[in-house]
Amino acid sequence: MSYELIAILMFSAMMLMLMTGQRVFGAIGFVGAAAAMLLWGTGGSDIPFSAAMKLMKWYPLLTLPMFIFMGYVLSESRIADDLYRMFHVWMGPVRGGLAIGTIGLMVLISAMNGLSVAGMAIGATIALPELLRRGYDKTMVTGVIQAGSSLGILVPPSVVLVLYAMIARQPVGQLWLAGVVPGLMMAGLFVLYIAIRCHFQPRLGPVLPAEERDIPLSEKLSLLRAGLLPLGIFAAMMVPFVNGWTSLVESSAIGAMTAFLAAVLKRRMTREVFETSVRQTLAISCMFMWIILAALGFGAVFDGLGAVRAIEDLFTEQLGLSPWMILILMQLSFIVMGTFLDDTAMLVIVAPLYVPLVQALGFDLIWYGVLYTITTQIAYMTPPFGYNLFLMRAMAPPSISIHDIYRSIVPFVAVMVIALALVMAFPQIALWLPHAVYSK
Amino acid sequence: MPRAIELYVRYVEAVNRRVGRIAMYLIFVLVGILLWSSISKTFFLPSLWTLEMAQFMMVAYYILGGPYSIQLDANVRMDLVYGSWSPRTKAWVDAFSVLFLIYFLGVLLYGGLNSTIYSLEYGERSPTAWRPYLWPIKIVMCVGIGLMILQAVAEFFKDLGRIRGEQL
Amino acid sequence: QKTIKWRMQTYAGPALAEHVVKPAIDSFNKIAGDRMQIELYFADQLVPTAELFRAMQRGTIDAVQSDDDSMASPTEVTVFGGYFPFASRYSLDVPVLFNQYGLNEIWDAEYSKVGVKHLSAGAWDPCHFATKEPINSLEDLKGKRVFTFPTAGRFMAQFGVVPVTLPWEDIEVAVQTGELDGIAWSGITEDYTVGWADVTDYFLTNNISGAWAGSFFANMDRWNELPDDLKELLKLTMDSSHYYRQWWYWGGEASLRVNGTKMKLTTIPDAEWDQVEKAAVKFWDEIAAESETKKKVVDIFKKYNADMQKAGRPYRYS
Ligand code: NA
Ligand code: NA
Repeated sequence: MSYELIAILMFSAMMLMLMTGQRVFGAIGFVGAAAAMLLWGTGGSDIPFSAAMKLMKWYPLLTLPMFIFMGYVLSESRIADDLYRMFHVWMGPVRGGLAIGTIGLMVLISAMNGLSVAGMAIGATIALPELLRRGYDKTMVTGVIQAGSSLGILVPPSVVLVLYAMIARQPVGQLWLAGVVPGLMMAGLFVLYIAIRCHFQPRLGPVLPAEERDIPLSEKLSLLRAGLLPLGIFAAMMVPFVNGWTSLVESSAIGAMTAFLAAVLKRRMTREVFETSVRQTLAISCMFMWIILAALGFGAVFDGLGAVRAIEDLFTEQLGLSPWMILILMQLSFIVMGTFLDDTAMLVIVAPLYVPLVQALGFDLIWYGVLYTITTQIAYMTPPFGYNLFLMRAMAPPSISIHDIYRSIVPFVAVMVIALALVMAFPQIALWLPHAVYSK
Repeated sequence: MPRAIELYVRYVEAVNRRVGRIAMYLIFVLVGILLWSSISKTFFLPSLWTLEMAQFMMVAYYILGGPYSIQLDANVRMDLVYGSWSPRTKAWVDAFSVLFLIYFLGVLLYGGLNSTIYSLEYGERSPTAWRPYLWPIKIVMCVGIGLMILQAVAEFFKDLGRIRGEQL
Repeated sequence: QKTIKWRMQTYAGPALAEHVVKPAIDSFNKIAGDRMQIELYFADQLVPTAELFRAMQRGTIDAVQSDDDSMASPTEVTVFGGYFPFASRYSLDVPVLFNQYGLNEIWDAEYSKVGVKHLSAGAWDPCHFATKEPINSLEDLKGKRVFTFPTAGRFMAQFGVVPVTLPWEDIEVAVQTGELDGIAWSGITEDYTVGWADVTDYFLTNNISGAWAGSFFANMDRWNELPDDLKELLKLTMDSSHYYRQWWYWGGEASLRVNGTKMKLTTIPDAEWDQVEKAAVKFWDEIAAESETKKKVVDIFKKYNADMQKAGRPYRYS
């Protein structure tokens, strides 16, 4: 069988299996295992388990349950409530101010955890009801929370960048730093968009009524203290890491511990919060790990059967495109695949195909990591398949329909595409910070 | 449904729930190992065993916790088409597609058993300075995958039940 | 007639494989054409390095390039693969030991017992420390977390080195993320080739082994199925790979010490380094006591090094 045929066969079988609605890891794992049994030859049956051994050796994955646990502790214990109040009071007097404040909240939440789940949960439970109560436009605020929470994987720490780092074999520290400026830039663009929209259409984001704004300055100032918590957690984790005192995985454990202690000290670590955090961390970690396990096995079979060569050959030789065209094509294919493939699976299956190609084309892999992450964020938010959409649907109040959710992301996806284009055109946006910090 | 199947589902779910609830606390063991790693590195000589021990712990965590995560319905599905089906149609398709999941797990277990037998036969050790024997973690993995198969079979029975309008 | 296809996985990542194996395999494929193609895979690409042996024994992979130590072969000779401390001083020592002092026969017998064909052993580079902080004395080595080979790690642990084993491709990242303080895995040529020179600042000129010993292996059944002329071609291919590495490393080590700008050289004085050499003699005896076969190999090392000593310059200068 030709390599091209194997590639097409395995991919379409996987798509078909996914359509049945079977658990993603089962669908991918099955195609990998079946192809290994049928096409590999001697010893093919050992590959799925061999992927489990490979996974064991991927040490940066140890950060995954740590960051998930951190996220759950932060959202379940509601220690972010004070943070929200801070933004609320300070930004209230501005048109669209609460929405802008929510983006600020999301940036801080992002600095304390590695996924978008926590931001989404906090945004949907704390910010969303308040914003709706103040007469903010529901489509606008739904979009704000989805867009804002997607910063979680661009602003360090970031699990997606850890996964990318493992696949591309690039330093996590540099990748994380490379995400900082684009993350803040994107937050800035969101704010700009909200401010401009609300300036011209004040009914989308009304200012707070006068009586609510009447808060003594001393109280306003004392609210700023709430901002110390995320700073503290971020510093406890990142300072020893960037200085090389602790390793990446050790830092993630420190982060998890700090968040846990913060919740205990603030007397928010109830029995219920504890139970939910620990149980959900297991559930979500298992979901990720089993998908990665299945995808690694699929990837090894795909590679060993020569399908990877076929795809590389297609891009570089047969289509005869320029490097930039190939790059843009790859970004587009991510979005297309994001419509039927689970995001984690996409990372583990598709990134190993593309990363060597990107390198061969002469692009910087740190820079590509940032492009990749922004594209992933877009995929997270575009229908029909995306974590952020799922989570929003699960968490939003009934007054918000699925159509509102789909509609809400349109302008924000546009902003993200602009951010993506900016980082593509000016790689220094991503690269100057890691270069400045790590230049020898 | 025959009583034997009902009992099977009940016992398998009870065992897996218990195993999963125990595995779920391994997160604290994991945190402990990693914290000890940074403490020992800062104040004493770095430990040889922490990284590998953490890796073993992580594997036990997600493999043994796997069946419980199925019970919690934590594993994402692509619901582009699936989401719009009626519960009965879902049950029909699930009852069929779960067999593919079982096949995958079966191949995984087959490879795992081979690998474990090899480990025992040759006294395989990790090629690191700490040199731990590998059979204990491989046995844990096989047990976890085995429990996963039992759980998947229970899911199959539950789907059959749903088709017949029974809740198992 | 159907093209014979082999999957071969090397211990090396793509950048290093470009020199240590790829040119030879490319030549093989060009010559063998439609009769046989070897598809080359890099470190951890199909299976993790620690699983290489088992994967080859089972036939999941047809052939492997690695040292015995890293791929955890279940044989009596595994401990001598990679860097066995102070067993060799120059890269020519390795082929002489295998071809003229009887190591080939021992390796062949040991691997036949476990269903694997030992095809051919060759020499690589010496084992030096590349570190983030300068090493000027044995004291400086204490507490350093270093990526190294299992046996080299066991040996250096007595000097306070903390050996860490990670997937090869993760090393550069691990140095940056603080998992590692340095690397004792190669000479300076590899440090520059694979990017480790970008993340470490210092290179220790003392080495704990003059040349790495690595081999090509194959699944026994796959090997036996090959027609004789292809077996012959494979042998020539492996020899061309060994030859390439002889000059590539030998020239590279000298040139980068002289002209390299990324790493500063440091040296532990001979008198102090002598402690390490003495410890190696003790270590040899410990290993020899473990089994009959190991004793046989250690005796060969002893005989060989004594012969070289007697031969005098240029074989040995001290
Ligand atoms: Na983050
Ligand atoms: Na999507």
